[in-house]
Amino acid sequence: MHGLAIDRIAWSSPWRVRSVRDKAALSLGLLLCAIALPPVPGSVLAAGVGLAVLLGPIGVTLRQLGRIGWMPASSILIGVLTVALSVSAEGELRVQMTEAGLLQAGGLALRAAAATLAMLVLACSTPVVDLFAALHKARVPAALIEIAALTYRFTAGLLDNAGAIHAAQVARLGYVSRPAAMRSASLATGMLFLRSWSRAQRLEDGLAGRGYTDNLRTLDPRRVRSATFLALTWALLASLVGVAVAWEVVR
Amino acid sequence: MHIAEGFLPVGHAIAWFAVSTPFVVHGARAVMKETRENPESRLLLAAAGAFTFVLSSIKLPSVTGSSSHPTGTGLGAVLFRPPVMAFLSTVVLVFQALLLAHGGLTTLGANVFAMGIAGPWVGYAVWRFSQRLRWHTNVGVFLALTFADLATYLVTSAQLGLAFPDPASGMVGSLAKFASIFAISQVPLALAEGILGVLVFRLLTEVALPQLERLGVVGKREPELVEV
Repeated sequence: MHGLAIDRIAWSSPWRVRSVRDKAALSLGLLLCAIALPPVPGSVLAAGVGLAVLLGPIGVTLRQLGRIGWMPASSILIGVLTVALSVSAEGELRVQMTEAGLLQAGGLALRAAAATLAMLVLACSTPVVDLFAALHKARVPAALIEIAALTYRFTAGLLDNAGAIHAAQVARLGYVSRPAAMRSASLATGMLFLRSWSRAQRLEDGLAGRGYTDNLRTLDPRRVRSATFLALTWALLASLVGVAVAWEVVR
Repeated sequence: MHIAEGFLPVGHAIAWFAVSTPFVVHGARAVMKETRENPESRLLLAAAGAFTFVLSSIKLPSVTGSSSHPTGTGLGAVLFRPPVMAFLSTVVLVFQALLLAHGGLTTLGANVFAMGIAGPWVGYAVWRFSQRLRWHTNVGVFLALTFADLATYLVTSAQLGLAFPDPASGMVGSLAKFASIFAISQVPLALAEGILGVLVFRLLTEVALPQLERLGVVGKREPELVEV
């Protein structure tokens, strides 16, 4: 568990001042290229652009990328290995690696890696609170955004609680054996449920005391909306599609 | 267990979005109705969403030597009902994708269907069935959470099997392949989550009975008359 490392990176990213519209166009466009174009060269190019944007203007360091990337990487690896293996049960059960399976697995690995990097372009440059403001502008019902926003706010505190509870349980040898670990995990889960509940009730009492009857609106600083950025994004995406199509035609 | 970003072909990703959307819209309407009638419940729903998200930080021991984390959707379905969990699971899965890079945006529809719809509905059906047969609460909670977890894992295996048919044995072989590989971690995890759910539920009935009564999970008990 790396806490909310991606969100912390997003809060300090130089691209935080850019509008969500601009960043979403780049990120979702790359995402679409990654999954819709052939893995070579489409996903490879999308991955290259995603990596360059992350390590360049968004300001993610290689160490940070390694820290936030191990979980999706391990998830992709398990899936890709499963696809690479071929099982047949004619006569006797046979597990083998075929050329078709390996090719499919390789393409899948490229596509998933490129898509993950494209998604990180948005996640590492846009704190979740900025997305809520964008959803407000997109006329998503306020009650739903508010529940999502409150969930996000509660999450940070509860993650700290979960970490503190786990550290205390480890210090009391709460995970030395399987039964002890189950007991510790159940106590931690129960305590987190109670704390999330009491935290919500205390917030409700506090807001009711201040006359809270409607949405919890927060200030939304102005963001830089750049037509140039958007035009460059479209040009970049169009060139990725163009290269992929040309590659297929030449082949 | 989520399908990683970019893992599904475009057609499959769109199809799973289409399948999941009515359930999520229904859940969102249920949540909006609930918050309109009881404005104070929005904070409790948010707390439930945060609780489900934070459950991914609780490590459970697994027989394979590794550890994994509970999905929390079975417990959520018993406590908050499946339609609410469809919406809350969507919020949690978006957060897991954007904050933890776990799951993804293109695979959101498929992951929502497995974790936010199939799991909670199966878990809730088992819970209601056990209540109708008047089984012990502990048995009902164990079975509900175990089956919710197993349903999530089997649906995810089926989604991957459909997307990547095995060159030799086709879709059925692929489903069996994904199901058997994930079974190494998911079957023990489902059993562990069932046991964990029983322990958590017992703890909650001891210390949070009013909250459980308010949610309608346990019937309201009449106050005992004390002879003076």
